[in-house]
Amino acid sequence: MNTSPSAPASASSQVQAVARRQRLEDSLFHLITWLFSMLVLLALLGIIASLFITAWPALSKFGSEFIWRVEWDIVNEEFGAAIAIFGTVISAAIALLIAVPLSFGIALFLTENCPVTLRRPLGTAIELLAAVPSIIYGMFGLFIFAPLFAQYGQPALQSTLGQMPIIGHLFGGAMNGIGILAAGIVLAFMILPFIAAVMRDVFEIVPPVLRESAYGLGCTTWEVVRYIVLPYTQKGVIGGVMLGLGRALGETMAVTFVIGNSQRITGSLFSPGSSIASTLANEFGEAADLHMSALFALGLLLFAITFVVLALAKLLIARGEKAKGTKT
Amino acid sequence: MDLAIYRRRKLVNRIGLTLSMGAMALGLIVLLWILVVLFKNGFSAIDWAMFTESTPAPGSEGGGLANAIVGSLLMVVVTALVSTPIGIFAGVYLAEYGDQSKTASLTRFVTDIMLSAPSIVLGLFVYAVMVAQMKHFSGWAGTMALSLIAIPVVVRTTENMLRLVPGGLREAAFGLGAPRWKVATFVTLRAARAGVMTGLLLALARISGETAPLLFTALNNQFFSTNMNAPMANLPVVIFQFAMSPYDNWVRLAWGGALLITLTVLVLNIIARVFFRDQGSR
Amino acid sequence: MTKGRADLIELSVMNTSNTLTPSGVANAIEVRNLDFFYGTFKGLKGINLDIAEHKVTAFIGPSGCGKSTLLRTLNRMYSLYPGQRAEGQIKLYGNNVLDAKQDLNLLRAQVGMVFQKPTPFPMSIYDNIAFGVKLYENLSRSEMDDRVEWALSKAAIWGEVKDKLGQSGLSLSGGQQQRLCIARTVAVKPKVILLDEPTSALDPISTAKVEELVSELKNDYTVAIVTHNMQQAARVSDYTAYMYLGELIEFGHTEQIFMKPARQETEDYITGRFG
Repeated sequence: MNTSPSAPASASSQVQAVARRQRLEDSLFHLITWLFSMLVLLALLGIIASLFITAWPALSKFGSEFIWRVEWDIVNEEFGAAIAIFGTVISAAIALLIAVPLSFGIALFLTENCPVTLRRPLGTAIELLAAVPSIIYGMFGLFIFAPLFAQYGQPALQSTLGQMPIIGHLFGGAMNGIGILAAGIVLAFMILPFIAAVMRDVFEIVPPVLRESAYGLGCTTWEVVRYIVLPYTQKGVIGGVMLGLGRALGETMAVTFVIGNSQRITGSLFSPGSSIASTLANEFGEAADLHMSALFALGLLLFAITFVVLALAKLLIARGEKAKGTKT
Repeated sequence: MDLAIYRRRKLVNRIGLTLSMGAMALGLIVLLWILVVLFKNGFSAIDWAMFTESTPAPGSEGGGLANAIVGSLLMVVVTALVSTPIGIFAGVYLAEYGDQSKTASLTRFVTDIMLSAPSIVLGLFVYAVMVAQMKHFSGWAGTMALSLIAIPVVVRTTENMLRLVPGGLREAAFGLGAPRWKVATFVTLRAARAGVMTGLLLALARISGETAPLLFTALNNQFFSTNMNAPMANLPVVIFQFAMSPYDNWVRLAWGGALLITLTVLVLNIIARVFFRDQGSR
Repeated sequence: MTKGRADLIELSVMNTSNTLTPSGVANAIEVRNLDFFYGTFKGLKGINLDIAEHKVTAFIGPSGCGKSTLLRTLNRMYSLYPGQRAEGQIKLYGNNVLDAKQDLNLLRAQVGMVFQKPTPFPMSIYDNIAFGVKLYENLSRSEMDDRVEWALSKAAIWGEVKDKLGQSGLSLSGGQQQRLCIARTVAVKPKVILLDEPTSALDPISTAKVEELVSELKNDYTVAIVTHNMQQAARVSDYTAYMYLGELIEFGHTEQIFMKPARQETEDYITGRFG
């Protein structure tokens, strides 16, 4: 700021006035932005509070037993969360089991094996898959996947894995294309693009020198990814998988269409079941009083489960950083 | 040197790479399949009537999705108007003051939770505080639910984009004696605006397809209405109801609506991508 | 000579087409008419030189002259990137590694590389060393322990890490990490070791230690080192190659290059008049 040498006193008082005003503006700015930030915080607290309040009647009636009870009788107002939790957790587990290896394969392909010109379009294709709304997956699941699964998939599974000693009865029973396994498979393809995109992103930021060091020792591509890239990116990978798990647990539409919506637990993956989200979606419209309260209790449980998963993910990531011993 | 080891390693490599190619192929096949099915089934439902007539009664013929389309549009626009300022301001706070304040790290943590919270739970919340209190479903409640989903997305992308702005730029502005709020808005935010816009577009794309939260808030309306204070027709819920029903006409319309939503979401995503690439690299 | 594998394994292969360097020493690598392309851009033009066995050959020249490019052709590292290709011949003990049928993994097991930036793998110090060895040899636990100790000693770092072999490689200082990478390369007992500006990211003390290492390594290995630090080249190498804009301007004994360069361009660079 070049002020002419003559004009000391007035310039400084004018400058001072500006400075005072600016300080005021800055404080205001800080306050306003802080307020909006607090709004987000309050929203979360509000969510937990309101869920708890509305769920209270059911929670107080059934106590902590609510979580283990295998019972969902609307007429007699006897509720338990076990059926819904079972469906939620099992379908999400199946989804992860299928989606994680597939995502790894896709990320590997995109970063190591893919011809350069195809990398961008194929990567974009995967990302677009992630953007498709879940209700589309639900419709696809119900109208396209379920009939095919009933006609080809399930018989194939039943005649092979279904004949084996311990796990055999997992694949028994009626084959009508829907059920817990079907929901798990549809879920898998829903979270697949998401996890694959995250994996690909973290694989890409591995410094080329590190890769070249491994190749320099005579490693094959597979070994470079398995022993160097994967450990190096493990925190990002775990984070991505956990977030995918979170989505799978809370997913409503993709599951509701194909899970069958029956309030029972049986030993077979082919049989229909319910998840927390599907129960809420199906029964909310006509619920009242204790039923409504029980539904809210389910919602609270779902929120708690996803919260725990997220917290665990962050913990694992933090531990992973420490174990690597990265010097700051 | 042991050749046997090497041969085995080469085999493992070959298998691994082939499997990864297979995984990619599978993903592509599913994507294409979904799109093809959508187009095949949805295209036949797209005609002038779909955009002009309201949803038909169960079992009847004809009709369209006009009320649902308008309802969805209304709610998405209002959501955008609400979430944009809140999200951006909160994001600015996190980026500018984030390293010094406990509130900031707490907010960031909370935003993360809300980002991964199931949208159905957010719907329940809005039901409890708005619908139950007002004793009726409404478009406003639907908007609030959608905002709860959109805001964390905007906050996160805004913060991330702002942090990407090179420190040298901000220092240059401060070096001129500019006050903090001017640096934050006229310099940093402006520099990051492409990325922030992208975040907005992506948030909008995300809420366009959300069904579950609307089930408990806006519900649905069989007739045409722009009254935000009453149950509001919207595409996702209509699709949900129609698709699971036994009426062919309804199922046909469901496919049409599904195609419409998918196209909207894909177009928004592509615009966001292209926009970011063109503007962001300036 | 089918896949070149057999030849690489036969360590004491006698090559009939071997030409000798001026002092009658055998050549580990002979480069003939090497051209290199980044897409359409020609990065190396008609390179001809020999890298003598059990000697240190240094490559110097201003930025962008192609010295790193040349180094990376010797172990076909460029093959990782489509659009980069080389033409000509590079004979490693008589076997042309530019041949399309050349098995790249085996080549790199024979020609090791240390990079400018230290790159410890995300694993323990012990595993960093053992990793490369396990790829091609089947050693018992005690044999592996011996090999790890041997490699770390060769890299003059054994004393500093022997009590913390289980700790992550990333927990070492920059200079130690680089010596770890050298140990890792040495552990697999390659024929040739390529060093691409190995000390440019290190402090002077670590640099001195690494330079000492390089002088010792040549007793057992052939060493090629790229450096932008002329004094380093003068200190550690037996032969020096001066490159400029993708061409080999002059090549000969280090003493001769630095005392009495034959070409004016070389003298200009050495004396700092340019570059």
